[in-house]
Amino acid sequence: MTTHELEEFLAPMRHEYADPRSLILPALRYAQGDAGWLDPQAMAAVAEATGFSQAYVESVASFYDRLYLEPVGRRVINVCVTLSCMLRGSDEIFEHLADYLGLDGEGTTDDGMFSLHKVQCIGACDRAPCLQIDAGQQIGPLEPADATCLVDDLREAAAPARYDR
Amino acid sequence: MVTLTINGRSVDAPKGTMLVDAAKAAGIEIPIFCYEPRLGPPVGACRMCLVEVEGMRGLQTACSTPVAPDMVVNTDNEVAKDAQDGVLELLLANHPLDCPVCDKGGECPLQDRTFRFGPGETRTLEPKVHFPKPLELSPLVALDRERCIACYRCVRFSQDVAEDAQLTFQERGDHTEIATFSGDPYEGRFTGNTIDLCPVGALTSSPYRFVSRPWDIKNTPSVCAGCSMGCNVEITERDNEVKRVTGRPDPNMAVEEGWICDRGRWGYPALRSADRIDSPVLVDSVGRRKVLLERAVAEAAGVLVNRDARVGILLGDPITVETGFLALELAQRVGAGPAMVARMGIPGTGLGPMRSLPGAQMDDIDQADVVLVIGGDPCTQQPVAELRVRKARRRGARVAVFGPRPSALDDSCEAMRTVPGHLMDAAGAIRDRLDGSQRAVVLWDEADLAAEPDAAALIAGLVQATPGARAIEMCADTSGPGLRALGIGTDADLLAATEAGEIDVIVTIAADPITGPSGDRWAQALVGVGTIVEMASHATAITGHADLVLPLLTPLEEEGVLVSMTGRAQRLRPGAREVPGAAAAWEILIGLTHRLGTPVPDRTPAQAFSRLAREHAPFAGLDYEVLGRDGAVITPPAQHDPDSARRDPQGEGLLVIACTPVFGDATAHRSDALASVVEPTRVGLSPAEADRLGVRTEARVRVATPHGEAVLPLEVDARLHEGAVYLFVGDPAQRAMRLLPLDRGPVRAVVGVAAREEVSA
Repeated sequence: MTTHELEEFLAPMRHEYADPRSLILPALRYAQGDAGWLDPQAMAAVAEATGFSQAYVESVASFYDRLYLEPVGRRVINVCVTLSCMLRGSDEIFEHLADYLGLDGEGTTDDGMFSLHKVQCIGACDRAPCLQIDAGQQIGPLEPADATCLVDDLREAAAPARYDR
Repeated sequence: MVTLTINGRSVDAPKGTMLVDAAKAAGIEIPIFCYEPRLGPPVGACRMCLVEVEGMRGLQTACSTPVAPDMVVNTDNEVAKDAQDGVLELLLANHPLDCPVCDKGGECPLQDRTFRFGPGETRTLEPKVHFPKPLELSPLVALDRERCIACYRCVRFSQDVAEDAQLTFQERGDHTEIATFSGDPYEGRFTGNTIDLCPVGALTSSPYRFVSRPWDIKNTPSVCAGCSMGCNVEITERDNEVKRVTGRPDPNMAVEEGWICDRGRWGYPALRSADRIDSPVLVDSVGRRKVLLERAVAEAAGVLVNRDARVGILLGDPITVETGFLALELAQRVGAGPAMVARMGIPGTGLGPMRSLPGAQMDDIDQADVVLVIGGDPCTQQPVAELRVRKARRRGARVAVFGPRPSALDDSCEAMRTVPGHLMDAAGAIRDRLDGSQRAVVLWDEADLAAEPDAAALIAGLVQATPGARAIEMCADTSGPGLRALGIGTDADLLAATEAGEIDVIVTIAADPITGPSGDRWAQALVGVGTIVEMASHATAITGHADLVLPLLTPLEEEGVLVSMTGRAQRLRPGAREVPGAAAAWEILIGLTHRLGTPVPDRTPAQAFSRLAREHAPFAGLDYEVLGRDGAVITPPAQHDPDSARRDPQGEGLLVIACTPVFGDATAHRSDALASVVEPTRVGLSPAEADRLGVRTEARVRVATPHGEAVLPLEVDARLHEGAVYLFVGDPAQRAMRLLPLDRGPVRAVVGVAAREEVSA
């Protein structure tokens, strides 16, 4: 991600924000699209394109769970563990997925293919228990077996050109 | 004025006042943590100041709610007290309560407010969040993340006052922590202010870590003598040692606003450096030996009383005005007749027009519409001035910086780099900036404008012609303005007389002429002097040659008055007395007049000051009582000299731009606390110039001026101007200052590759 690319991305939306600080968030999300996480070069490019210090940009990025400051897998599986999903068995879904992926709780698989995270409410209580792949649509209600099928499908799929997280 | 009711009492406050200040003025304390007007508008981050405003829904933060007519505010009813309890209970939910081992314990706002306003107990059963501790935010600032209450004060200081954009908050909620980008050390010239600002024990001073408890110490308000800014400080003493220097809790808003630089804060370990002189030394036929102070003073008097002795007294820096005055008194009482008294410094030649301009104080910068910085570099030479200039820029004032040096202000202000030796080139731009301004403040550098009298005359004319424009001189020496007000001139005549063999006895006071400008000439001249009496706090280049050495107290230990660069006479108060065998210069001088049989009437600096105020017009009407807490402004004479002309330095080589960063001065080099930030004495060249001279890859280079030569480390910096050699001086061990002419005026230097043996040496 170069500063120039980011500037081109931000140019049409600059007028939409009264406070230029507001540009940092879209810039970070866009910058994350390249590698799937915010490496220091991406952060530096965001700082330069928005005119804020790297420290401030990092401060903003660190506030948000979905902006990753460390490498994550090619696909991120977010299992909702808030009330509705929890009551409908999200714990089982999570445990099952962790077993299937060979993970001890949250984390990233050794082959770098998947990251498994617990997240708070993703706004799909009517479909509990529910999970979300990257920033894609919520998938649910799920049985443990559905979840493993989903993982198999994802393993077959090609890597996305840009990450949307 | 607005009239409102707080806790049933009628209170008047100016429109726009925040509730917390209106209550404070009425003697009602509303507890706060994050509120600090010096950091900018209130942020309401800590919620400690919640109060009930009748008719408003919910509770209001008193720090960000302005007063309104007929407002009815309750700060101590059940609702407000419940809120205070609740906020403190939450602030303490993850606080480790390790007060017994916390450096802040006993002087901690969180502790005090918990006692006064808190619930006294917690309902929290969950385990507290733990962080490894402490974290080294920098070698000087330690961070304990568990104690932090996320008030944002330090972050606001870094972002909005120092503008170094380094400190931020990372993560959120109970994992919030202060951090720099990628964990880099917190670097800056003002980092220590975050310690003063921290209302809890999260940010503490590493050199002060576990050193003392608040009930074991004595705090003394004084003034920093590190540069000509005259920042008000507080000195912490325990066991006769200075343990800490902080900004004054009740800041002098006309000077430093409570901010001090890290050099001023952590320079105090220099008081205990290995080269501190702890005892008088006498050299006579018996040999070189330590003697008692009384004996040493008697010996000095014995030399000075000699009717044939022609005496010279050389004052260094910093020197209090009392010491200067008593040196003049002593001069009348010695040897063959009045002694010559001179100070090491820059002659006022050519500065008359600039010094005749109407003067400004630092707080006038807050009202200015245009702020110009001409020559010098306040960021490194008078650091706290930088913060005022930045504040003016944030407020919308037009700020422009002119001169040959790169400056930390360049990034955020208009900067015009002039060709070294041609400040005159900036005249057009200066005229443009001043045009139409109503309240311009011009900060100008003593050394740079003294080197270019034609530019000084022209710029003075421009400022003079601008209605409402005023000037602040950025003085090269801490004691320059005070000694000038006493009529004490610079040392050219004294050196000439010494070289001519017309001086038999020389007395130096806090002066090191051999290390200073034209040091080699001084060294040569002093060979012919019969007796050298040195008064100094630390060993200097002449200590080994002196016949008598009298140990001095440092400005942190002595009493007296210093005059700042804005002409503000302020009192130094002794914070400690570390060396029992040492004395203040004023004490020794008074003692000498007694020994000579013609005692001065003064017994204290206060008496000496009152007397000098009667005899020296600039100080008229002043005494210690009048100086009070914040000092008084005097106008030192301009020493107008209309006949000054431009001096183009002769000889070959590059023009020398001398830089005297306070972070590279003798005290910074002596203070072990500052080891991580001290600026080395070095040679700076632009990449092109370094290529041209063929020294680009050299670690050390040889620099030679007509006044001397030295082998120094090389720093190639793209921000430096071509056609000049930047000489960063200050380390007494390197003695680079002696490459400059006595008046520190323009000079050329030849820079070349150092021979192999020089490099290893």
